[in-house]
Amino acid sequence: MQQLLNGLFIGSIYALFAIGFTLVFGILDRLNLAHPAVFAASAFVGIELVERAGLSIWLAIPLVLVFGGIVGLVVERVAFRPLKGRPDAHFAGLISSIALAGMVIALLQWRYGPDTRRFPAGSFPDTRLQIAGAQVTVVQVVILVVSIGLMVGLTLLVTRSRLGRGMRAIAENPNAARVLGVDVDRVTATTFAISSALGAVAGVLFAMNVNSAQLGMGTAIELKGLAVIIVGGMGSLPGALVGGLVLGLAEVFAVQYIGSSWRDLIAFGLLFAILLLRPQGLFGARKVRQV
Amino acid sequence: MAEPILVVEGLKVSYGRVEAVHDVSFRADPGSLVTLVGANGAGKSSVINAVSGMLRPKSGRIMFEGRDITRTPAHELVRRGLVQVPEGRQVLSTLTIEENLQLGGWHRGKAAGAAIASMYARFPVLADRRLLPAGALSGGEQQMLAIARALVAAPKVMLMDEPSMGLAPKIVDEVFRVIEEIRASGTTVVLVEQNARRAMRAADYAYVLQTGTVVQSGPAADLLADESIVQAYLGIDPA
Amino acid sequence: MIAQYSATITFIALGAIFAYSFYAVLVAGQLSLGQAGFASVAAFSAVTLGPDPDQVGDLPALLVAIVIGMAVGAIAAVVLGLPTMHLRGVFLAIATLAFAEAVRILLLNQEWSGGAQGMSVPKIVTPAIAWIALAVVAYWFWRQGPSRYGRALAAIREDELAARAMGIDVGRYRLSAFVVAGAVAGLYGVLWAFFVRLIAPEDFGFSTAIDGLVTAVVGGSTMFLGPLLGSGFLTAIPELQRALGVEAGWIRPFLSSVLLLVVILFLPGGLASFIPRRVRMPPTVGEDFGSDHAGLATRLHQASGETVAELVGLSKEYGGVHAVRDVDLQIRSGEVVGLIGPNGAGKTTLVNMISGLVPPSSGRATVLGVTIGRTPAHRVAAAGVSRTFQHAKLFARLSALENVLVGAHLVSRPTFLRRMVWLTSARRDERESLEHAARCLRRVGLGDRATTRASSLSYGDQRRLEIARALAADPSLLILDEPAAGMNHVEASSLSTLIRSLAVDGLTILLIEHNVGLVLETCSRIVVLNFGEVIASGSPDEIAADPVVIEAYLGSAEEDPGGPPNGSIAAGTLADPTAGPDATKRV
Repeated sequence: MQQLLNGLFIGSIYALFAIGFTLVFGILDRLNLAHPAVFAASAFVGIELVERAGLSIWLAIPLVLVFGGIVGLVVERVAFRPLKGRPDAHFAGLISSIALAGMVIALLQWRYGPDTRRFPAGSFPDTRLQIAGAQVTVVQVVILVVSIGLMVGLTLLVTRSRLGRGMRAIAENPNAARVLGVDVDRVTATTFAISSALGAVAGVLFAMNVNSAQLGMGTAIELKGLAVIIVGGMGSLPGALVGGLVLGLAEVFAVQYIGSSWRDLIAFGLLFAILLLRPQGLFGARKVRQV
Repeated sequence: MAEPILVVEGLKVSYGRVEAVHDVSFRADPGSLVTLVGANGAGKSSVINAVSGMLRPKSGRIMFEGRDITRTPAHELVRRGLVQVPEGRQVLSTLTIEENLQLGGWHRGKAAGAAIASMYARFPVLADRRLLPAGALSGGEQQMLAIARALVAAPKVMLMDEPSMGLAPKIVDEVFRVIEEIRASGTTVVLVEQNARRAMRAADYAYVLQTGTVVQSGPAADLLADESIVQAYLGIDPA
Repeated sequence: MIAQYSATITFIALGAIFAYSFYAVLVAGQLSLGQAGFASVAAFSAVTLGPDPDQVGDLPALLVAIVIGMAVGAIAAVVLGLPTMHLRGVFLAIATLAFAEAVRILLLNQEWSGGAQGMSVPKIVTPAIAWIALAVVAYWFWRQGPSRYGRALAAIREDELAARAMGIDVGRYRLSAFVVAGAVAGLYGVLWAFFVRLIAPEDFGFSTAIDGLVTAVVGGSTMFLGPLLGSGFLTAIPELQRALGVEAGWIRPFLSSVLLLVVILFLPGGLASFIPRRVRMPPTVGEDFGSDHAGLATRLHQASGETVAELVGLSKEYGGVHAVRDVDLQIRSGEVVGLIGPNGAGKTTLVNMISGLVPPSSGRATVLGVTIGRTPAHRVAAAGVSRTFQHAKLFARLSALENVLVGAHLVSRPTFLRRMVWLTSARRDERESLEHAARCLRRVGLGDRATTRASSLSYGDQRRLEIARALAADPSLLILDEPAAGMNHVEASSLSTLIRSLAVDGLTILLIEHNVGLVLETCSRIVVLNFGEVIASGSPDEIAADPVVIEAYLGSAEEDPGGPPNGSIAAGTLADPTAGPDATKRV
């Protein structure tokens, strides 16, 4: 049971992070590789807010959300919008977002140095709870609640709101959306902001979970996030959610039964298996792009 | 006679490397039905896409209600009442019928609700299936959805790009009946069609396009009776 | 002074070699990021399996290690390349990146590779060795570019579908590019190992993979000097930094990322795009019809009147929609058959089936002896079918001449390996290919545009270039898909003349066109499609007079005499004209 819960906690962070990838891929058909850098940056920013500004962690989380949103707008404007309509747009978008990621990480190193940072002592309550015979900390519960809450909120946004309809329209057929009067540029930018905001919260939650932030945390989770969206299906929100939880659980159980050194391979194993057997992923309906 | 609601002058449009439209001019009076006919590749769609803001013209001028809209983007034009029903219908098949209609009302906010209700009244088959994905509809039904969607935007001018394409003759009749009804309600219609005779029968004024220029124009009834249209249309040089 | 920079010089060479392993697949348009994995496994294998330098001497040990490393790298590339054969773009990038990471983790947990500690390796590599290796690699890619093989890779990069239609077996060429990438990455791994004295799986991780890609992109992937330029530039940054006395560790990655962003936004061809690309010139020989072409594989053509294509009940449906319905068609050698019909009638779908790009849903078809549906497109092309496309699918960044050279893929001889050793027979074969290509260009009137980039040509010229390219394969059946689109009367008329002269030369031609006038004056027989079915077939005179055809195009002015349908989609919205006088309008 303990393992199950552990798997859910880490899995919900994976899912929250992966949703950022899948939102952008769904609407733009591009992979935003600056996303993991935002993940890392927001962990550092979260720690700084608590440490230097003395804010409570509960206030820092929403601020980090806003920070992520703003960075998302910048990424869209600088790395993706200028490439609209270029024939090599997919490849170029990959490269330009890699470039931005590099810049972000370098700036993090400049501001925070290369060492691991931690939350100051006493940042979060120490209480532990008992749930069905397993021990969980308050922090872990908060992680689960915040992640699920944000994902539910996003699902409502996408399925019920005007903005969500616009996003889905653009994801299916950007020209048809334009002809209907949807301001495609504005909706795209908003989608980027939302996806980055979610990734930012995932970053700070992850840092809370392990009480540390390192420069390399973005790359460490990047491939797992990619594995999640491929397994779940590119562009599918429920896919990202289910994929993330599945990965989290699989990892935890793998550590238990096989050994911790093989934990990271689980993601790749799933990834390859899905790519070979069902390339559109568990929930994906899109045809795998031909070029 | 009222001022024309839509005026196009000297339009030149390139689609990629192709100069699809060399020099097209036409006008539409308010409440009239104007049709642009011509063989495939004559440039009709490019003209419509330039007018609706989907393509930037290379040169020329487009005036809507007296204002220059040559460089205005599509989403702004929809807000002002210039709405296109695109070629091939392009309904969003993964969204429900209701959501498609709601998207038609993107700019209208609350007022869209009443418009959507009246669309359901007018097209019961859409009402019956409103929560089904639009991809489940037949070709003719999708055409009705595309038209209804455009109507939700409360257009002053409706640009229709080949509404009869790929539809069986009986369904085409239905489509044309709806078009005439729309015109009768006061909306100006600019109709682009490959099905030239049917379009000219419905229209007040007709322009015949061939390889990017207007080769003939006049009251639709006159052109309909003119046999030389057939030759111009099929690209046959008169002997 | 030299000693101070010796490490830098070596790193530039090594970085360039690694970048070449990315270049090897980027020239074919494949975004593979698994090269770090190839390098890793090659390095560890070579160090483990290779002989001890103390026993056999430094250089022999290194050479054996290199051979082992390159072989292992190549094998690893096959292991990755085969299952990912059908992946493209983003999916391929992710799969290959995951492979590299998986290799890293695997090696981390192995005893023989020393686990996380890694292995210590004697330092054998000197700057000279590194640069010699680099020179060999660069030489390989220099000779590869202008060869038939190199052009085929470039064609796959520019437009994979068109490459298939030219007879290029995309799968095989892709895999070969992978193997080359694997071997080059293996070379890098071994050289790196014998230079840095200690190798650990971490050295070949995620950031290494990205670094290699960045170097290749910054340098440019369309010209063989690209990786060298990229490596030089990127390695120069920390040197410059040191020279200026700026010591911060974050500046180098920041600057190289900024450089990458600037390059990709404003200079997509990389630094190499500053070097003007030497375009192949056609030979200035006179007209050369009917001479003996030893360098070109000649083709056997059908005798006049024999059946070239036979379609029986051919159909294609997409989810319930019948694009092509039950078409019977026979094409005989020497005919010029026109295929007309309104928009959406199924003409292009039919032709896509005949050329092997789309499998039929039902029915049978045989074209030039191959069965349609079971034969991949490049084999259909090999059988003698050549085509143009509705929206010109040219190889945009190649010159007109190079486009036609790709078209001649099936009839020209492979020259790459012979080019490596500068054999004169290779030069002769290449010259014959060039002459052949130049002839095809002159045939369509583009003789003076041979060196122009395809994307810079006017639209009319682009369409003619497509025809020249299709002709280069010496086809038995030439399919033209709307070649006159966008042309005015004068241009269409000269196109008609060209087509008729091709028929006189013995080509069988299938022509799809909307310009009915052009079809009437060019074709010997016309087939009319509507809603996927054949509605008429006959001579031009018969078709021009057929009211069914006229109606299909212009439509009927009258309403359908059958009355409003049952279950009308707009039922109840308008007054039903066949209903009685007391029928009311439903609101």
